[in-house]
Amino acid sequence: MIRLSNVSHAYDGEPVVDDASLSVEPGEVVAIIGPSGVGKTTLLRVLSLSLEPDAGTVELDGDSVWDADEDRRLALRRRVGMVFQDASLFDATVARNVEYGLRVRRGWNDRIRDGLRSVLGSNGTPRAVEEALDVVGLSDTLDQEADSLSGGEAQRVSFARALAYEPRFLLLDEPTSDLDPRNTGLIEDAIREARDRDIGVVVATHDMHQAERIADRVGVLLGDGFTEIGPTETIFEDPSDERTRKFISGELVY
Amino acid sequence: MPLEPVVGLLQGFLDLPFRDGYVPSVVYVSLYVSVIAVALSTLFSIPAALAMGFTDFPGKQFVKSVINTGMGFPSVVVGLLVLFAVSNRGPLGALDLVFTKEAMIMSQFVLATPPITAISLAAITGVSDNVRDAARVLGGTRLDTALVVIKEARYGIATAVLAGFGRAISEVGSVLIVGGNITGADGVSKTRTLTTAIQLEARQGRYETAMVLGAVLVAVVLTVNAIVVRLGDTGVNR
Amino acid sequence: MSKQRPGGREGAASRRAFLAATATGATGALAGCVGLGGGRSDDQRPGVAGETLTLTTTTSTYDTGLLDEIHPDFEDLYGATVDAVAQGTGAALETARNGDSDVVMVHARGLEDEFMRNGYGINRRDLMFNDFVIVGPEDDPAGIEGADSATEALATIADAGATFVSRGDNSGTHTKELNLWEAAGVDPGGDWYQETGTGMGEALNVATQQGAYTLSDRGTFISQRSEIDLVVLVQGPIEDGPEILANPYGIMAVNPGVHENANYDLAMAYIGWITSPGTQDAISNYQVNGEQLFFPEAVSEDPNFQQYVPEGWSNSSDSE
Repeated sequence: MIRLSNVSHAYDGEPVVDDASLSVEPGEVVAIIGPSGVGKTTLLRVLSLSLEPDAGTVELDGDSVWDADEDRRLALRRRVGMVFQDASLFDATVARNVEYGLRVRRGWNDRIRDGLRSVLGSNGTPRAVEEALDVVGLSDTLDQEADSLSGGEAQRVSFARALAYEPRFLLLDEPTSDLDPRNTGLIEDAIREARDRDIGVVVATHDMHQAERIADRVGVLLGDGFTEIGPTETIFEDPSDERTRKFISGELVY
Repeated sequence: MPLEPVVGLLQGFLDLPFRDGYVPSVVYVSLYVSVIAVALSTLFSIPAALAMGFTDFPGKQFVKSVINTGMGFPSVVVGLLVLFAVSNRGPLGALDLVFTKEAMIMSQFVLATPPITAISLAAITGVSDNVRDAARVLGGTRLDTALVVIKEARYGIATAVLAGFGRAISEVGSVLIVGGNITGADGVSKTRTLTTAIQLEARQGRYETAMVLGAVLVAVVLTVNAIVVRLGDTGVNR
Repeated sequence: MSKQRPGGREGAASRRAFLAATATGATGALAGCVGLGGGRSDDQRPGVAGETLTLTTTTSTYDTGLLDEIHPDFEDLYGATVDAVAQGTGAALETARNGDSDVVMVHARGLEDEFMRNGYGINRRDLMFNDFVIVGPEDDPAGIEGADSATEALATIADAGATFVSRGDNSGTHTKELNLWEAAGVDPGGDWYQETGTGMGEALNVATQQGAYTLSDRGTFISQRSEIDLVVLVQGPIEDGPEILANPYGIMAVNPGVHENANYDLAMAYIGWITSPGTQDAISNYQVNGEQLFFPEAVSEDPNFQQYVPEGWSNSSDSE
């Protein structure tokens, strides 16, 4: 379980996240909705354990992340995967991209041996890479260069790259905001597949319909921490917070 | 296309007034000194560029401006500084480095490092922050992240290394001062490079042989460039 | 400067070491510690074998190819290597002054004397000589051809404002040229007087291209004659020209009392070898384009004490 407790963070004295608390269990999809510029990305960076918040605590499976030493924190960080709004693929083949998380988790001896072997010929592709690409329907692109993919394909490869090393939690920052409906659908299918694999998924999105389609729970972020977090149905049908209700119904425009 | 100059050059090449082994040994010294100096510069420059690209520290702008100044630093001045350092009267005098390849490597290192660092830094800063974040978030250590950045910037870094190599191998002033342009009595170069050999021929008015040696120099530079470009293309982890 | 390098040629070296002991005779004894050991000890190799001698010399000596011609003999004899570095006389002496060479071979007596007086150079020998010539374009615009006096010829060039190329590099030739102007009572300067700051060969090239006059040592001029369009207009003493154009070369060891890492043993072996009758003959026999370039001066039946000390030195006039 990832648990954020009373997390606050500011850039240049400007508070971006203020007193936010959230916990995510394995096997559930949590959507974070809210208008742009409201701190969703900052919150995901805190969840991905790559940004230390100014205040509050971050726990992963019972360990307080920022009290742990560097080695321990790396081990914790490696239980989390992330997909960015733009695919941010490396300039290499699809297979090399998807394999990246697996590669950095291996010892240097193995990595150097594989590196030498790859000079002589192919190493073959690890099973996990093929499986991950299968989930996003791109198992036939293994040997393509990443920069030859379309935007939608690149984003799906990016998803497979985060899935390949079987993280316990997967964070997605506006993963479909630049995609067409077909690719959006494929990413949403992949999110459901991740949930079936008992991965905890957090999706930051400004698309309320997407949240409604895929999320088990929804957190509404309207500027100063979550106004409300609850089961998807409750948030959309019967929110208890007045501002949430106005945001859902479109009356509250930012 | 007029073939006469080409034919003339070839004929000049065939009956150069040099003893056997002279030209190969001069090429060898040129490559030995430049390649080692550039390799050392690269080992120094890339970590330096990564450190400057990734971190902020007081005086960073100053360091950058020093490097940019260094790119235009006159090689003769570098030669003099290295000569003062390695001279019997200088701080490194006890090492007996005057008129040796090692002293030439030192001055080439000083000359090649600023362009390699500056161009690598530009290439590294050009790598998108998202790619760096991705490497980290996918579980990479600090070293893994650095390697990803190097890999993303590999064309720029190859350009940097080539620029450094070009500066080193085509340089005359400093290698003449610290190397002494020495060949042995057997006609084998000790510290004579292609550039200083050309300078020696020109000094004696033998412009044809100087031209032929110049053609050899150009051929060597082109060959090295081709090899590096090819390595950059097919090389690491593709 | 005693760089070790793996010695080879042991057989040849020891066989010749014996010859060397005979050939260099008295000079070998002067060298003292070259370790010839009578040539008959168990270890017959010279003690300097495998070492490297750094010789700084002038471009005008180096560019004639003389050293390339004679050095293999020395290297065979002693199993040592000679690193010859060609610089201007001023730079060659400066390098030695810094302890970065072991022996200097130059041609500017005034600078050599200063070098000795300051304690940097010892055991100077007169080595060889040639002479300077004033060269210029064949049409001789200033009309100096056949002048009896070098200074008069220079004064004529200055009066005519004909282009004159100066080395301008503090070399032996440059020093000689400045002395000549001074003797001619001319303070050179103006559009017609061009300093190139380069070696002799380049200065000759520049003079050819500009149709200018210049002062050259005979050796470089002969070895380059086929490349340039200049002719000798005023001969030096070798061809019965004025004595003022004489160009004597001297050789000195760097004082190990000042620079303790100077390879004194090898330097003295080298001086002994190059002033020996055999090497002096080789210098005399060295020809370029069918002409002799250097005239040996070291072997003489007359005593010549002035070669060992600064010119004009005597015990009573100078007790340094």
